[in-house]
Amino acid sequence: MLRIRDASVTFPASDGPDVHALDHVSLDIAPDSIVVAVGASGCGKSTLLNAIAGFLPLSEGSITLDGKEIVAPGGDRGVVFQKDTLLPWANVLDNVALGLKYRGMSRGERHERSRRLLELVGLADFAEKPPYELSGGMRQRVGIARALATDPKILLMDEPFGALDSLTRETMQQLLASVWAKTGKQILFITHSIEEALMLGTTIVVMSPRPGRIVARFDADFVRDFAERGDIGPIQSHPRFIELRQEIRSLIHQPEGARTGTLQ
Amino acid sequence: MTLAANSATSFPSSTAQRAPSPRPRRSASTSTLGISLITLAALIALWFLAAHFEWASPLFLPSPGEVLTQFSAVWADGYANGTLLDHTLASLTRIAAALGVGIFLGIPLGLLMGLNRWVKGIFSVPIDLYWGLPPLAYLPLLIIWLGIGETSKIVLLSLSTFAPICFAAQAGVRSVPAERINAALSLGASRLQLFTSIILPSALPEIMTGLKIAIGAGLSTLVAAELIAAQSGLGYMIMSAANFLATDVVFVGLIVIAILAFAFTSGMRWLEHRLIPWKGKI
Ligand SMILES: Nc1ncnc2c1ncn2[C@@H]1O[C@H](COP(=O)(O)OP(=O)(O)O)[C@@H](O)[C@H]1O
Ligand SMILES: [Mg+2]
Repeated sequence: MLRIRDASVTFPASDGPDVHALDHVSLDIAPDSIVVAVGASGCGKSTLLNAIAGFLPLSEGSITLDGKEIVAPGGDRGVVFQKDTLLPWANVLDNVALGLKYRGMSRGERHERSRRLLELVGLADFAEKPPYELSGGMRQRVGIARALATDPKILLMDEPFGALDSLTRETMQQLLASVWAKTGKQILFITHSIEEALMLGTTIVVMSPRPGRIVARFDADFVRDFAERGDIGPIQSHPRFIELRQEIRSLIHQPEGARTGTLQ
Repeated sequence: MTLAANSATSFPSSTAQRAPSPRPRRSASTSTLGISLITLAALIALWFLAAHFEWASPLFLPSPGEVLTQFSAVWADGYANGTLLDHTLASLTRIAAALGVGIFLGIPLGLLMGLNRWVKGIFSVPIDLYWGLPPLAYLPLLIIWLGIGETSKIVLLSLSTFAPICFAAQAGVRSVPAERINAALSLGASRLQLFTSIILPSALPEIMTGLKIAIGAGLSTLVAAELIAAQSGLGYMIMSAANFLATDVVFVGLIVIAILAFAFTSGMRWLEHRLIPWKGKI
């Protein structure tokens, strides 16, 4: 269980007032759930994820994973970045095996395990290739396999499909849904696409900028259906889907003055 | 109508032709090689003509034939206390020693300077200061301190190879993308693992570039140093020959230096292909 309590992150600005990138955010991520944070650019989504990953210190509040306070990056939290961070000098298999190598697992064992993960993400035939010979979508799949290899408690994904074309993106969403259904890993997923949030989230939190806050949360269940059927069409025409999409859209597009008005 | 039909049929065929051409880059580089060879041949032909028609006095511009004759004479009988091989080996030994010192001190110190702000703060001032000076300006000082022998020359050359290697290693560490480091930490890398598996390989392309600069700097300092104070080496041979207006021997020396420089450049390019084939990818 990941527990975020009153977490705030303030960046000092060179001109003008400090930026409250995250302002007293509280959120729980239960095992077996996919929490999707959705919001316009600059609302603090990456800041939230970076704080959980341990890349950024909190100004206030606390984040604990299974009761343990997060102070630095660590192998218990797997991260998938928007831009892939694969090592160009290692082939795909060794990239997936990197975290296992850090743990001192023997070469044979870590390769065997990495091959299974490459099968899971549909890249078994590309094990020996250097990453720069793969397409953007394939590289993201390698990134997911690499993050899963060390069996982290939680997977943190910051707009992992944001740089992909829409067709590849759909394939990747399906892949993630099925990986989640198979592994039951808890996931924090960040996106600015409302459709993506609804397709993948068991919980969707909507964030707003200046200061970065969670303004609403919704429970959804489309991802199970999506994982089973692998078809976006019928889900996206579901009345509940359309209703939620409209609601989230109006929350995100609400003018700032109006929102602070309702909060006060 | 015919125009439309034509373009409709010709367009796909032209793309189909373009698709299978596998590596446009390689064909471009081979065509450059051809042009370079032609240029080289033209220059040599021009030299022949200039010498044949005596556009300049033979005293100043020897013919290619004379230079070739002199080459075998210097090779067999020697010039200025040594054969051509002796002088070449003397120069090569000095530059190898200087590169060795530059690599074994410059890489570790540069890496440390990239990693630690204290180390950088302490060492960057002296290195910046001496690197700004022309090596020949402080050579007299080195001779006063260390004598006229090999030591002062190798120290001089090491100073000129050390700085570019050190700067490059430092730049290499700082060029590691922050996300690559974060990714490794999230995979559970320890500090040592982070250094060996991420920082060192990421810095390698920069270090190789620094090595190329160091070879260039070392070679030019070497010859200059041998012109001033030496009893052997290609620079010494050239200077002795120039004193007796033996222009053909000067040419022999210059050609050997050009060949050495070319060999170093090609060797480095080969090393880069072997060590960092991924350079520039991702
Ligand atoms: N390192 C930083 N220094 C200063 N301001 C930052 C820094 N990182 C992010 N910010 C600011 O914090 C806010 C939230 O940023 P971010 O979390 O990246 O938003 P998102 O990921 O939702 O687009 C933005 O206003 C951004 O300009
Ligand atoms: Mg972001």
